[in-house]
Amino acid sequence: MRANGAATALRVGAAALALTALPLLVGDFWAYQLGLFYLYAIAALGVGVCWGRAGFLPLGQGLFFGLAAYLSGLALIAFEQRPGWLLLMLPLAVCVPGALAFAIGVLVFRRRGESGPYFSMITLALALLAFQVANNWESVTGGFNGLKGIPGLPGLDSYAAAYAVAAAALVAAALLVAWLYRAPLGVLWAALAQNERRVVMFGFDSNRLKAVAFAASGALAGIGGALYAPQQGLVTPQLVGFALSADLVIWAAVGGRGSLLGPALGAIAIGVLSGELRDRFPYWEIVLAIVFIAVVLFAPEGLAGAIAPLARWRRRRQAQADSPAIAAPPRADAGRAARLELDGVDVRIGEVTILDRLALSFDRPAIYCVIGPNGAGKTSTFNVITGELAAQAGSVRFDSRAIESLPAHRVVRLGIGRKFQIPSVFPALSVADHLAIALWSARARPLDLLRPSLRRWSSPLLDALRARYPFLADGTRTAAALSHGERQILELAMALLGEPRLLLLDEPCAGLSPQETAAVIDVIRWVRTQHGATIVVIEHDMALVRTLADHVFVLHNGKVLAEGTVAAIQADPAVQAIYVGAAK
Amino acid sequence: MDPASFVAPALNALFGIASLAIVALGLAVVLGLLGVLNLAHGELVMVGAYCAYVAQSQGWPYLAAVPLALALCALLGWSVERWLVRPLYQRPFDTLVLTWGLSLLLRKSAEAIFGLGYKSLTEPIGGTLEVLGTSYPRYRLLLIATAAVVLGALFAWYRRSRTGTRIQAMVGNPDLARALGLPVRRYASATFVAGTCLAGLAGVLIAPLVPVQPFMGLDYILMSFFVLVVGGLGSLAGLSTGSALIGGVNSAVSALSDSTGGYLSVLVIAILFLWLRPRGIHAR
Amino acid sequence: MSALARLDFDGVAGGYGDADVVRGVSGAVAAGETLCVVGRNGVGKSTLLKLLFGELACRAGSVRFEGREVAALDASARRALGIGYCPQERPVFDDLSVRDNLTLMRADRSVDAFAPLFRRFPVLGRRLAQHAGTLSGGEKKMLSFARGHAEALPLWLLDEPSEGVQWENIVQMAELVDEAKAAGRALVVVEQNLAFAERIADRYLVIDQGRVVLEGRAGTIDRVRLLAHLHV
Repeated sequence: MRANGAATALRVGAAALALTALPLLVGDFWAYQLGLFYLYAIAALGVGVCWGRAGFLPLGQGLFFGLAAYLSGLALIAFEQRPGWLLLMLPLAVCVPGALAFAIGVLVFRRRGESGPYFSMITLALALLAFQVANNWESVTGGFNGLKGIPGLPGLDSYAAAYAVAAAALVAAALLVAWLYRAPLGVLWAALAQNERRVVMFGFDSNRLKAVAFAASGALAGIGGALYAPQQGLVTPQLVGFALSADLVIWAAVGGRGSLLGPALGAIAIGVLSGELRDRFPYWEIVLAIVFIAVVLFAPEGLAGAIAPLARWRRRRQAQADSPAIAAPPRADAGRAARLELDGVDVRIGEVTILDRLALSFDRPAIYCVIGPNGAGKTSTFNVITGELAAQAGSVRFDSRAIESLPAHRVVRLGIGRKFQIPSVFPALSVADHLAIALWSARARPLDLLRPSLRRWSSPLLDALRARYPFLADGTRTAAALSHGERQILELAMALLGEPRLLLLDEPCAGLSPQETAAVIDVIRWVRTQHGATIVVIEHDMALVRTLADHVFVLHNGKVLAEGTVAAIQADPAVQAIYVGAAK
Repeated sequence: MDPASFVAPALNALFGIASLAIVALGLAVVLGLLGVLNLAHGELVMVGAYCAYVAQSQGWPYLAAVPLALALCALLGWSVERWLVRPLYQRPFDTLVLTWGLSLLLRKSAEAIFGLGYKSLTEPIGGTLEVLGTSYPRYRLLLIATAAVVLGALFAWYRRSRTGTRIQAMVGNPDLARALGLPVRRYASATFVAGTCLAGLAGVLIAPLVPVQPFMGLDYILMSFFVLVVGGLGSLAGLSTGSALIGGVNSAVSALSDSTGGYLSVLVIAILFLWLRPRGIHAR
Repeated sequence: MSALARLDFDGVAGGYGDADVVRGVSGAVAAGETLCVVGRNGVGKSTLLKLLFGELACRAGSVRFEGREVAALDASARRALGIGYCPQERPVFDDLSVRDNLTLMRADRSVDAFAPLFRRFPVLGRRLAQHAGTLSGGEKKMLSFARGHAEALPLWLLDEPSEGVQWENIVQMAELVDEAKAAGRALVVVEQNLAFAERIADRYLVIDQGRVVLEGRAGTIDRVRLLAHLHV
């Protein structure tokens, strides 16, 4: 990753050079005007973080920009003669919007999957509300006419100085975002935009991750806003309201929301263009709206995508080739045998009973198979264990600890891993990133997620898996480019890499060729002996069950119908009856 | 106390609820039945309102605004469903972004055609009526009555008619509906168009009572959304309860402090429901 | 297969995502016949029906209905050609009444034509005004079966029609299947209940791991081998 980091720094460095050269070309005054759009560009980077990376749409970023601008303006007016205080107040003007964004994120991102539209609507409402407050609270904000007479930053009086500050801030912000994108945090954001459930199944609190992304965007908008006040000398309610919020989203989209510098490029290019054309050409904004729709529909890469597609691809291939691996720390609870007990678990959805006072016990490290007809409740049992399905009654105890009311990511952290029936991976992420995420699961502490070096983590198990499955060694391929069989194995490898003490596999061989199936059985057995894990497999294929199972549970109508060795349940007439159908 | 002094506030409350309900109705159809959050919903109400302005400023009878609004909103609705919604039924987030882009387009178009300023319409039926001892503006009474009739008739039709039943079937189990030979694509398109036309109609109704300007749609999409998530999607009871709760809280708090406070309290309620009852009071 | 074949499918493959659950299944059923598709769970029986009906797109193979290639057509188009389907999951409209479930796509709400069906399944006749969601699993299957029977389409695909249904009613179903066959309809029935299958099948198609492992006419097929493929 060092090479990748160097390449990014080079890109940003080149841009910085261009920024520095600009005043020499267009003169100090025009550069100063441009500097305003640099500040907007910083806020647009924040929209890119939320929308382009983490997959949710903030419609009210003006709130944070304007809030920072008001705070900064008030501080500059109040402490004009005491620059020491300003050194404290101005960073505060950046932190307050960031903290507010985090608080809103925590409040809104509570339930998985349903928060997207709610979030957008609430951010929109907050921006409109903030506009009203800024308009009405004349004593503090100056009302409709705004906060006037804000002095510039101390010691920076010329156009050239103001421009330099804006340019430097933009470069710093871009480097910050570049770092976040390279860090595990950025990878997790991209992952959760593609498959949130899978990220949760690795023990990450997806809602907290989204709140952090939103906080970062709030802070970025805060940087722009805090510098806006001294640059322009005037802060009006328009900043806080809807218009800037809308513009930021448009700029991020047209510039290319998925890339690092795309949103900044959009803000500068389209912002300047709009400024020039808005008054001269009355239909400019209509054209821009159509361009926005067209970009989202047909060209999501935006301007940035049009400019630099090839260079990025080449850089990535190089980067992967020459990064030395770092050993990942071991799991804290490795080696401890797992015990899981379900007792009297009742799950009802409306009129339908899914699980009927289900009682199951996995009390020693072994390979258990769960079989049964469709609708017997096998996958639902897994969902109850991992905390994704709430039981109306009964208890689930893992190592004698009740886990039925824990959220899914906490359950996973206790040492439970899961592989879904349909390969559940991150289509746009590389194989290397997938494996890295699996390693971070339950091993990376929260602050570790900010260290890019974690992307080079490796473990002996990973080496062994790469040896068995050579395609895993080619880290640059994206999951979308893999075949179905390879995706199944990738997800299995990810589940194994977490080294869970209890591993839940839902039809791990579905859709695999006989050779692939044999290889998977091999790996499952090997993990069982090497790591002493308890493995529970849902399977339909009786040949597999015969090969693998130490103990079999037969589920029917949400209850355990029979259990025992494979031979025992094969001889059981009740089991045969449910498969063949009772005559009477 | 004099009973007559309760009549005006009660009618005002009823008027507030009726306005909210009729504006939210179009979104209730589109979001409640088809599961599509059309962020351009408020702008479709705006389209209806501007149609009313055009009718009035051209000297046409007020009712002429209705076919104009219906035609425009039907065309917009059909196009949106065909090109922005139908290809993306599996990707609701993209639909969200695209309808937001459409709302932008409609807003900017209105700005270009009519300018940023507020347009004021005169009430087509002026004067007041004596109601239980109090004088109350006739047009507001007309709006209350129209809203009640439209909501009642629409829901009765939905529950009783053959087409309504088929739409219910399609909404509840689209795969089975297809297996029975129900032309699901046509029905989904028609349902969407019905939602957008209802939005336009609401715009025509409320235009004389509010300042008509390009940004009016923002408030309407937000209020409609909050009404539905609080009240619950997919039922008349949900729409009414949501309108009553949101409208009631907004009016009460606004009367006590100011409109900002009312707005804030609506937001707080919406967030509380997000935590505790994300499907709303009358969950389907 | 003879020229009278109502449905003829060859090398059909497909599944979910890009996993192939069904890997090259061939078979045919003529007018007035029932083809029973049997096999254990998860072998691809329901998926096969979905591929035949058009709910899933075939990745390979051909499906010919009355001589006409339909593999490229979607479900609505195949329904319009005369292929009816009773799915295994969510077989009825839970929010609609029993009456509405039966008459949804008919000209009016009258259930007069259903009188013979109500004689066989009295519970349906008694509960016309009730919401279908309140019926038991077996009753929903009976409702779905009645609807499919009344549609009288030339090809009728059923996915586990007897699931949860009591034996007395299963017998009624078998008799109704005979009526359908006598009227010239072709049926493809996925079944788990061997006793029911044995009453209605003219041909068998036994599936395992997405492929055909055994097939033949009802009279000539080796019952012991059949059972072996169904047993756990």
